[in-house]
Amino acid sequence: MNQIIVAFVTGLTTGGLSCLAVQGGLLAGSLAHQLEQDVLNQPSARRKKYGRKVSQPRPQTALPIALFLGAKVVAYTLLGFLLGLLGSVLTLNATLRAILFIAIGIFMMGNALRMLNVHPIFRYFVIEPPKFITRYIRRTAWGKGGSQTRPDWITPLFLGALTVLIPCGVTQAMMAVALATGNPFQGAAIMAAFTLGASPVFFIVAYLTTQLGSRLEGLFMRFVALVVLILGLVSINNGLNLTGSPLSARNLSQTFFAPQQSSQASSTVPSSTLTLTVANNGYWPHRLYATAGEAVLMNAVTQGTYSCARDLVIPALGIETLLPATGTVPINIPPQPAGTVMRFSCSMGMYTGEIVFGQ
Amino acid sequence: MVKKIFRVDDMHCPNCTMRVESIEDDLPGIKQVSASYQKGQMLVEYDETQVSEAQIIAAVKTRGYQAVLAVSS
Repeated sequence: MNQIIVAFVTGLTTGGLSCLAVQGGLLAGSLAHQLEQDVLNQPSARRKKYGRKVSQPRPQTALPIALFLGAKVVAYTLLGFLLGLLGSVLTLNATLRAILFIAIGIFMMGNALRMLNVHPIFRYFVIEPPKFITRYIRRTAWGKGGSQTRPDWITPLFLGALTVLIPCGVTQAMMAVALATGNPFQGAAIMAAFTLGASPVFFIVAYLTTQLGSRLEGLFMRFVALVVLILGLVSINNGLNLTGSPLSARNLSQTFFAPQQSSQASSTVPSSTLTLTVANNGYWPHRLYATAGEAVLMNAVTQGTYSCARDLVIPALGIETLLPATGTVPINIPPQPAGTVMRFSCSMGMYTGEIVFGQ
Repeated sequence: MVKKIFRVDDMHCPNCTMRVESIEDDLPGIKQVSASYQKGQMLVEYDETQVSEAQIIAAVKTRGYQAVLAVSS
């Protein structure tokens, strides 16, 4: 029971926003379809009847968002069941996740450019369902003759279920807990609790965004496209961080601009014993200095840490380890030549750091 | 039965294809409509003795889109 409560609180505190960064593009995409429909269904010019203007209906976004989240909860509950039943074979390694993040980011950016009508080529960034599915939806869900007025609810359900393929780092940590139970029902309960905990943040951010923009019609759709574009860039950047690439935004800024010394910066004197504090909001210090040419011991210290920072990835060493919520985990780093910059990140590529090897 | 391609350039999302394809439920003589948002067109297979091109174009217009005959196949 404790694990289920912890899973719910984790979702409530960190899961919602961290997963929104990756999955928000899918949510925005499903909302965009509904918004486009609502804009189309509104009269092209305000009609006047008996001297009074006909009020325009507000976008029906609460239902698609709720359906998206409902499908997400169901999908992750089923996943938790399978995890408890099948074990760790379902976990993707860091490299595959990085590829997935970058691919998703490219897809989101293409979709955003399609929504902005930049060029017809971007229409190919939309996945068209097979005809037998659309025909089934049209004839059973829509019903004959009512297709123009009934809202599309299959799209948010479908996209919500798809989020199970792109779990964020916090979700991965919960998946590991579900795996460890070895019990399909307990695994399902943990994933359901976590996803339910993350849902309020998802819903509030998404709903407020759409309602605030309901009066702007076409301009709001451009806003949604811009959000999807930014989320796509974030996803690509996270994928780059996960591979330790020097092309990520943070690493590029450190290359071209003088690094800022924070109050928690470590000494610049290289050492063979390092201490990395793993907090809920990242790694401290961001940059550690290690002795080149000899083995280095890095102690990863956690204290009440429940965010994805616990899932530490060091691509150069092929290390991906889930740290305990509280404790110290020693990580042995083999000798590295001077000048080596070894980057690390959380499993989602959001929190990053680096070890600089010098004499 | 003939198959003809109609340009429908003002479809702006995959949902629009479902709207356009719904004419196959309403017009007798249409065997199948396959619309593509990506290509901006629809392929209609129909019985010329029961439904005409003009009726197909008019039915698409009631859905809010403009169809223009492209080529015959």
